[in-house]
Amino acid sequence: MAKGEPTGLRRPNDPPVLILTSLAAGPKHGHALAKDIEEFAGVSLGPGTLYGAITRLEERGLIEPLQSDDRRRPYGITAAGSAALARVVTDMRQLADVGAARLGLTWGTLA
Amino acid sequence: MASLLRWYPPAWRERYGDEFTVLMEDQAGDRRPTFRVKLSVIGAGLRERGHASGLIGLQRSPGERARAGSLLVLCTWTAFVLAGASFSKLSEHFAQALPAGGQPIPRGAFDVVVGFGVLGVVLVALGAVAAVPAFVRFVGGGGWSFIRGHVLRAVILTAVTTGAVIPLGVWAHHLNAFQRNGGDGLYSAAFVGWAVLVAGTLAQWTVTGVVAARRMAFTRRVLHVEATLAVVVMVAMVVITAATALWWGAMANDAPWFLRGTATGTDPSPFNLQLVMTMTLMLTAVLVAAYGVVRVVGSWSGLTTA
Repeated sequence: MAKGEPTGLRRPNDPPVLILTSLAAGPKHGHALAKDIEEFAGVSLGPGTLYGAITRLEERGLIEPLQSDDRRRPYGITAAGSAALARVVTDMRQLADVGAARLGLTWGTLA
Repeated sequence: MASLLRWYPPAWRERYGDEFTVLMEDQAGDRRPTFRVKLSVIGAGLRERGHASGLIGLQRSPGERARAGSLLVLCTWTAFVLAGASFSKLSEHFAQALPAGGQPIPRGAFDVVVGFGVLGVVLVALGAVAAVPAFVRFVGGGGWSFIRGHVLRAVILTAVTTGAVIPLGVWAHHLNAFQRNGGDGLYSAAFVGWAVLVAGTLAQWTVTGVVAARRMAFTRRVLHVEATLAVVVMVAMVVITAATALWWGAMANDAPWFLRGTATGTDPSPFNLQLVMTMTLMLTAVLVAAYGVVRVVGSWSGLTTA
């Protein structure tokens, strides 16, 4: 995916960013996604919000549905999704670096 | 939980419905979904319908977005027709209440409302005429099954509404002006009931038109015509709303007793509940129509190059 192409990713706590971050660790179905996101980000996504984001991400080719034997369909991140997440994470890191530098903080003191 | 899925568009339900239901069951456990969760799901379902229709987001083609914006303007025009009917009833014989010697502003504002109202009707009719070839192709291609139920409901409502005019007219003929304008409670209730029937009939025909138009294959040229008409209709709605507000202000200044339905020279308050409701409906319709026009204009370049 070319730089500057719209991915629909905005803030770090955006449901699409959270879903991609969760799927970067491996495929998950809806409920597992929601639990993982709540654990690592403290954000509780309702079913409507979660599936709204899943729909958009699938439309943009950033995630894909995987085969499943039961009704819980797992999703996996695609190569385009990984690239989009990498770009967002890099942007976040750059922003965080600027903020930390202007505050006179070093990463070791931010805990 | 299945009932909540109805808020989502059919194609979405087909694709995600099963796994979404499982997720809700997993999250809720043995409990029923809370009111907050239900509200959130309903909101998400409506957003999904917005996406599917082309009213939200950029997933749909420029043509789909222009069509959705134009149909939204058509829906708001229906609401505007109802507001216009209310204003027409409310402003009956207003000129007679004005003091002698001119008073050009309320008369001029009223003429603008009427003139642009007629213009709007003509524009909507032109839009319908432009869609006729696509409609014929749609019906010829088996589209009738999609709209048969809607057309049947619209025809029944039209027959009931039209049939109700006769007894209501006969009744009104035996009443004086005071009784016809709120003095007779029973007649007023019957008139309000008839007005609700009119609103329902208009709404049903509009729904029928939207259901058909969403499935019709428009040529690029017809889409351009519909999109252009939608923009002009929205402008007409803005002018009508402004002229209605001007009429209200001028009447409040020149003959406030008319707005209150009291004797000439009494009651200087310009407040009139029906007028407030009419203006609220007009303003709401204009705002929603403006969103539709934003969708149309936003997809214009893509529509040209598609």
